[in-house]
Amino acid sequence: MERLVVIGAGMASGRVLEHLFEAGAPFEVTLFNAEPRGNYNRIMLSPVLSGEKAFEEIVTHDDGWYAEHGVTCRFGEKVVAIDRSRKVVVGEKGELPYDKLIIATGSAPFIIPLPGHDLPGVVAYRDLEDTNAMIAASSRPGAKAVVIGGGLLGLEAAAGLRLRGMDVTVLHLMGHLMERQLDEAAGYLLKKDLEKRGIEVLLKASTQRIEGDGKVERVVLEDGTVLDADIVCMAVGIRPAGQIGADAGLTCGKAITVDAQMRTSDPDIFAVGECVEFDGNLFGLVAPLYDQARVLAKTLLGEDDAFAMRELSTKLKVTGCDLFSAGDFADGEGREDIVFRDPARGIYKRLVIENDRLVGAVMYGDTADGNWFFGLIKDQTDIEEMRDTLIYGPAFQGGGGASADPLAAVAALPLEAEICGCNGVCKGQIVEAIGAGADTLDALRAQTKASASCGTCTGLVEQLLAVTLGDSFDAGGAKPVCGCTDLTHEDVRRLIKARELRSQPAVWQELGWKTVNGCPTCRPAINFYLLAEWPLDYQDDAQSRFVNERNHANIQKDGTYSVMPRMWGGMTTPDELLAIAAAAKKYDAAVKVTGGQRIDLLGVKKEDLPAIWADLNAAGMVSGHAYSKGLRTVKTCVGTDWCRFGTQDSTGLGIKLEKKLWGSWTPHKVKLGVSGCPRNCAEATCKDVGVVCVDSGYQIGVAGAAGMDVRETQRLVDVASEEEAIEWTAAFVQLYREHAKYLDRPYKWVDKVGLDWVKEVLSDPAERAALNERFEISQSVYRKDPWAEHASEPEAEKFQPLADLTMEPAE
Amino acid sequence: MSQPDSAMSFIKASEIWLPEGETLVFGAGDYGPLAAFADVSSQSQFAHGEGLPGKAWAEGCPIVLDQFDGSYFQRTVAAHEAGLTCAIAIPVFADDALKAVLVVLCGDDAGHIGAIEVWEDRDDRLHLEAGYYGAAEDFGTASQDVVFAHGEGLPGGVWSAQMPVLMRQIGSRHGFVRGESAKAAGLTHGLGIPVQAPDGRTRIVTLLTGADTPLARRFEIWDARPERVGPRRAAVRIDGICEREGPLWAKQNPPVDIVTITAWQGPVGQVLGSGLPHIVGNGTGLPAGYRSMVALPVYHGEDLAFITAWYL
Repeated sequence: MERLVVIGAGMASGRVLEHLFEAGAPFEVTLFNAEPRGNYNRIMLSPVLSGEKAFEEIVTHDDGWYAEHGVTCRFGEKVVAIDRSRKVVVGEKGELPYDKLIIATGSAPFIIPLPGHDLPGVVAYRDLEDTNAMIAASSRPGAKAVVIGGGLLGLEAAAGLRLRGMDVTVLHLMGHLMERQLDEAAGYLLKKDLEKRGIEVLLKASTQRIEGDGKVERVVLEDGTVLDADIVCMAVGIRPAGQIGADAGLTCGKAITVDAQMRTSDPDIFAVGECVEFDGNLFGLVAPLYDQARVLAKTLLGEDDAFAMRELSTKLKVTGCDLFSAGDFADGEGREDIVFRDPARGIYKRLVIENDRLVGAVMYGDTADGNWFFGLIKDQTDIEEMRDTLIYGPAFQGGGGASADPLAAVAALPLEAEICGCNGVCKGQIVEAIGAGADTLDALRAQTKASASCGTCTGLVEQLLAVTLGDSFDAGGAKPVCGCTDLTHEDVRRLIKARELRSQPAVWQELGWKTVNGCPTCRPAINFYLLAEWPLDYQDDAQSRFVNERNHANIQKDGTYSVMPRMWGGMTTPDELLAIAAAAKKYDAAVKVTGGQRIDLLGVKKEDLPAIWADLNAAGMVSGHAYSKGLRTVKTCVGTDWCRFGTQDSTGLGIKLEKKLWGSWTPHKVKLGVSGCPRNCAEATCKDVGVVCVDSGYQIGVAGAAGMDVRETQRLVDVASEEEAIEWTAAFVQLYREHAKYLDRPYKWVDKVGLDWVKEVLSDPAERAALNERFEISQSVYRKDPWAEHASEPEAEKFQPLADLTMEPAE
Repeated sequence: MSQPDSAMSFIKASEIWLPEGETLVFGAGDYGPLAAFADVSSQSQFAHGEGLPGKAWAEGCPIVLDQFDGSYFQRTVAAHEAGLTCAIAIPVFADDALKAVLVVLCGDDAGHIGAIEVWEDRDDRLHLEAGYYGAAEDFGTASQDVVFAHGEGLPGGVWSAQMPVLMRQIGSRHGFVRGESAKAAGLTHGLGIPVQAPDGRTRIVTLLTGADTPLARRFEIWDARPERVGPRRAAVRIDGICEREGPLWAKQNPPVDIVTITAWQGPVGQVLGSGLPHIVGNGTGLPAGYRSMVALPVYHGEDLAFITAWYL
């Protein structure tokens, strides 16, 4: 009998042995394992950690199995070397000759070499010892765990520890969980699910060090956050454990290199599992390992077979979290998404199609069709014929004709299918109401309450109207934000506030967006609504801004940019003028004096922007925001300082207003003017907010315009003091920020809501104070110079390329 | 392995009551050797609010009755004669509509250890609403002041997952929140079942059992949600443990070996088909070595979502 020695008793080598014994292979097998036990189903350690499985249940091969097949077990003994010249392996307890050798040493967890990573209490999550260490740590009431890594293993560890009663925090470096398997929308739902279990999830959380006196006691993040910890589980990935092969002189890349028969560079030595590299690929999921095991067994039996890479799918073993991910779901040129969301049931499905083939699928909450989609991906099935109904799964395929009509899917829903989750209205009730005469959306809402709450089922209800009434149904109604949603701007603003949606993924999912990440029309609006509602929680998204706002400069017809420093109230100094002149010469810019009392430097190349900003910053100047949906200028006249007609310090008031309002984002641009007397040299009566100074105080007008439309301001209020003028102006701007539709100038917004309503709100001192307070909270984040941020490294480096090519930029 | 016998279990009898107009009528029952009690029961019926089944219907939530004397229980004499000491009634609602009431009757002595609990959501924490601990008095005492947050322990895990959970070795390695006293009481396994109620409040029923005198010898959890099995009426066995067969979950990855049943196929398939609890008392269709089974549906809204089953 040939002597077969196997190093490593993991799942891959275990499967090889099963195949060999099933085929009656004539081998005398000796099995080494560094762990003091045989083969167990390592991927089921998570339910053991959580208590939902016992370790005994996940043992694949027990002592009886090894004995039955005559396997000599050397468990708990590490192999320290392979002597290929003598064909022996050197174990800790002695040598053993082989005829054929299988290396199946698996992988080792990657430990981030942070300060404190070697403290007792810092564990990886790889084997039973790690699992038992975590179970032991959970024994103390109120014990706290920190899990570093929001991938599959980390989240399974977190859920298990939570079930054990621990306070658990997950730290994840990236912007969403399981970013290798899930897109942002599914990651959002997963985070929400985990938080419902009492697990705290911190994204973009970078760990700086682990501290403790003789054992782990706390984790310190880069931003200074300190988290108490009785145990730290580091689950940030694995790397192949193939060193023993490299030491023996086998060809290695990142792991032990094998051919399609799992043979290493030595014809008598084979490798299988996570310790191998095949065709440049490494392995971490079990399905390809089993394929390798089958191929290796056949190779040892002298039969033909070849290992080939194949598509993989992913499942998270957290009870109650249903997710499925397969194929490639990254966006790219020529790829198209089909998205289905059911906010009431927490369902998200996304299919990625390329050249009429399904190339990727991500599903959360409803994974029933996962395997069917996985099959379409693996088989590269042409899906052109079923594209319109593909997202509804196999139940809606195969009929052709009517089934190719997207409305057919709605028509095919059973009468008891719930359409409006908020109000529990099913299809039958809606159809009945339509039959009784409710032939418009409003009438249906009134009679059945369908789509009357969150409104995310509006599209479905309209489809039911269309299915039931045919051509006689006219959708009409309020205009939605864009094709991504059936909701209006007003609905979206209301729901962002009412349902406390604080991120774009939350809006996309909870409001049932039909696209993955919105579109160039809706993203800038949603970005503004979020930052206006949640200034402290929401982070402005540059990818959701128009090109000028992204680049903090106005692009010109020749592709160059204009740069305009702020001149507070139109005032400047000789030193500022010298710096502007120097910059103009250095960057070969044309110089233009603007109507807003500033100096524009035209023709600056994009790559020079960070440098010219740095030069102007050095002279004490900041961005004039000449490109933004925000405060532009406060135009002033010279006022009482110089003018013999001036009644008040109009320049001083203009500077104060500009210093209060600059940097704030608004639905559209906002321009102010302050004139020192009714002669109105600052043209304040055609501004969004115009202050005209008079002997008795300040006349504040709003809703003027001097662009495509020309409007004179309407008098909002007359006040006696400068402080009151500033308070009323800021309150008006904040009211506009909180209520206006994105891209409505103040005059359009006031036309819609009526000046009387604006006056009524602002005439309440408490309301005015509250608006000012909210404005200041927002300004605590946004009253800053964007040039300074982008002029310095590394921001300047990152400035030019788009950070995320998956998101079409807003234009 | 010892021969399964209901006489060795904490659970002595199980019965199903079905709504018929304003009355609950006898649907099915497994009383083992308790023939006299079976006779009395099969001739009984209960109005809304009457007796234990009627009370569970009226209150719309699970009820644990830890003593029959002086209570609204209507079969007290027969129960005493049969050695029954406590009962739990679990109403099964599909949305607001009562489908059935499952009543489990228990009898204990020092040799029969087990616990049945009802946990209820109050102030975003699960508190013990009622429990019967039989001889495991210390464990019962230890449970009185315990509360569970979302995701914490067996009740909290069921609460956050909104699905039944079967935990093993609840008393080992101090992991279970009440682990020490559970271990001392000999309780090793726990089945947590979410129970839907018309008032919308979360309630979790837990069945805790020991290895030596088990409440049941085989537990199963089946997933019947369309999100998992698609539009067909089917269910897949997602977890289970059996004294005779060992673990009952899929061993392959992907789970090509997962056990699937369709409506009306076998005892569990009856639940899938009818939407009602199902009781087998004569071994028909059960795995080898088992004489009785109770299968309880778990609803999400109007939809049958999961099935739990326990066997003796």
